[in-house]
Amino acid sequence: MNTKYIIAAVVIIVLIASAAFIYVYYQGQASDSGLAALQNLVDDHNYTTSLMAYPEKIVSVAPSATEILYAIGAGDKVVAVTDYDNYPYDFAAWIAAGNMTSVGDFTDPNLEVITSLNPDLILASGGVQVESVDTLRDLGYKVLVLDPTNIDGVLKNIELVGNATGKRAEATAVVNDITSRITAVENTVANAAKPKVYYEVYYESTSSWTIGAKAWQNELIEIAGGTNIFEDQQIDYYQFQVEALIDRNPDVIVLPASGMGTGQLESLDAVKARPGWDTMNAVQNDRLCQIDSNIIERAGPRVADAIEQLAAFFHPELF
Amino acid sequence: MSTDEVESTFFRRTSRWKLIVILLILALILTVIVSLNVGYAQIPFPDILGIIGKQIPFLNGIIDTSRISPQNAAIVLQIRLPRILAGVLVGAALAAAGVLYQGVFKNPMADSYVLGVSAGAAVGASLSILSGVGFVFLGLRLVQVAAFLGALSAMFLVYNISRVGSRVPVATLLLCGIAVNFFLFAVVGLLEVIASDELHSIVFWLVGGFSNVLWRDIWAILPFILIGIIAAYFYARDLNLLAMGEETAHHLGVNVEKSKQVLLVLASLTTAAAVSICGLVGFVGLMIPHLTRLIIGPDHRILLPTSTIIGAIFLVICDDLARVVATPFASTLELPVGIITMLFGAPFFIILFKKKKQSYAA
Repeated sequence: MNTKYIIAAVVIIVLIASAAFIYVYYQGQASDSGLAALQNLVDDHNYTTSLMAYPEKIVSVAPSATEILYAIGAGDKVVAVTDYDNYPYDFAAWIAAGNMTSVGDFTDPNLEVITSLNPDLILASGGVQVESVDTLRDLGYKVLVLDPTNIDGVLKNIELVGNATGKRAEATAVVNDITSRITAVENTVANAAKPKVYYEVYYESTSSWTIGAKAWQNELIEIAGGTNIFEDQQIDYYQFQVEALIDRNPDVIVLPASGMGTGQLESLDAVKARPGWDTMNAVQNDRLCQIDSNIIERAGPRVADAIEQLAAFFHPELF
Repeated sequence: MSTDEVESTFFRRTSRWKLIVILLILALILTVIVSLNVGYAQIPFPDILGIIGKQIPFLNGIIDTSRISPQNAAIVLQIRLPRILAGVLVGAALAAAGVLYQGVFKNPMADSYVLGVSAGAAVGASLSILSGVGFVFLGLRLVQVAAFLGALSAMFLVYNISRVGSRVPVATLLLCGIAVNFFLFAVVGLLEVIASDELHSIVFWLVGGFSNVLWRDIWAILPFILIGIIAAYFYARDLNLLAMGEETAHHLGVNVEKSKQVLLVLASLTTAAAVSICGLVGFVGLMIPHLTRLIIGPDHRILLPTSTIIGAIFLVICDDLARVVATPFASTLELPVGIITMLFGAPFFIILFKKKKQSYAA
């Protein structure tokens, strides 16, 4: 009986001691090698993560995170992405050729694939991925959640990923490029009249969906010199009454292509032929524009591209 | 009871039925007129009358709509009117089909889900959304045609699986229907998993609604629903006899198998037409027949027409609520009508049931 207790006590003491030793050792190593930036990485859900060394194997379970990693030159560390990833490279082709691993669906990433890769760092997004993130952290993985709600948040995320991967100078360069391009657009449209913009999320015979003030795209429309026609709605994505749209009469219609909804299936002529839409300024003046939904819907480093394209749609005379 | 007495009871009853149906039709017309005023845009009622009157031949010459904005005219004629009529048609179709399903199955839980009709429509719609083809067939979107065909295929599948020799027993029909229903909804779930970009489209379609129906959608489903309901009415007597048991019905001269077959086809046809434009709108098909039975009674000759009209009124009012719920907050928000049907319909049904459960149990 006594021997058992003694053995148990010894085992526990050894475990605690080695844990303390490893902790102190790696603490020292990190600061020794000048990796202070790897300490206390605070992500968008206020979770603090500390890394021991620059990650060599990164799994990205969010297309926007993948875009950030490649934008700052950390793409060579990426070992797995989701099936939704398509920028800056055709990852589906890479996965098919065996040059990249797929973690599967964005909404439900395959945890077995992730654990088998044993990554040093995982980049995830908020929303539907929260549960997977908790599980991954329980399994001991380092996870940063990138869940920005506005452009500032995206810029902070780029800096955060830069710190985590040791690409701080590159990250700062990307941030400066985005900021200066956005400022350039803001200066150009500063004195122009703001068109009323309808941004389509989904339109079918069953229902119609658009964005309110809290959607990410609202800020982009604002900066590009337009006004979201439903910006008075304090909500993000929502089902709206089409008669309200006809009543408010938009000047420009933005149709994200190849993204949510079946809008991309329709020709612009079909959109113009929708019931009652011929009374809208946008249709009468033929101001319907399609934009790559991946550029405008992802809160990632292509935000300046989205703003430039929108501004050119809203103010063709200025660009 | 003497023959005279029987006859006078019959005539008193039929004249009472006529009165009920006429009153309900008036209520439906009133609902439609009131509903024309419901929505985000504030359009004065005289303007609405003017806009509609302008469309009527002979009358259009004397109506001056020049001061009415084209936006308001478009809202009344191309948004509100088709959507209200879609509510009338879909509500009527689902409620009538519910009466037929419950009558044939002699089961209070029977509705369009039981024969896999709704699930079949969902599979058809999901597949067409995933295909990414938006092609238009006779003015209809692929998703609508696919939902219609999916619904009918599911019904024929269930019917043929359930066949035992030349008979189709209700019990096997019910069980096979439920099995196929689960299977098909599993297929929808599978399609949702692999849908990626189109996931939202599938989910939004499944939620159901008819906010943006076109006039041509209405013309497309009108014949199916009209013919389905009218034809079913001629089987109301058979339904009454079936309620006494298939054996009894057979001895009273009903061709049981043929009646069941015709009634199921009619119910599925009307349901398929309805879901093809509105997606899955729940509650109407299940609850409106029960609700009507509580108020009117179980005789299918009156239950079928009254359920049909009450279903139409109910769905139009639910769609009005979907639009006005947010109006006090100056909002352009709209709720999915399927949520309203359950949110307001279920408590209403429970209250009515509490009041009348004695007579219902009898």
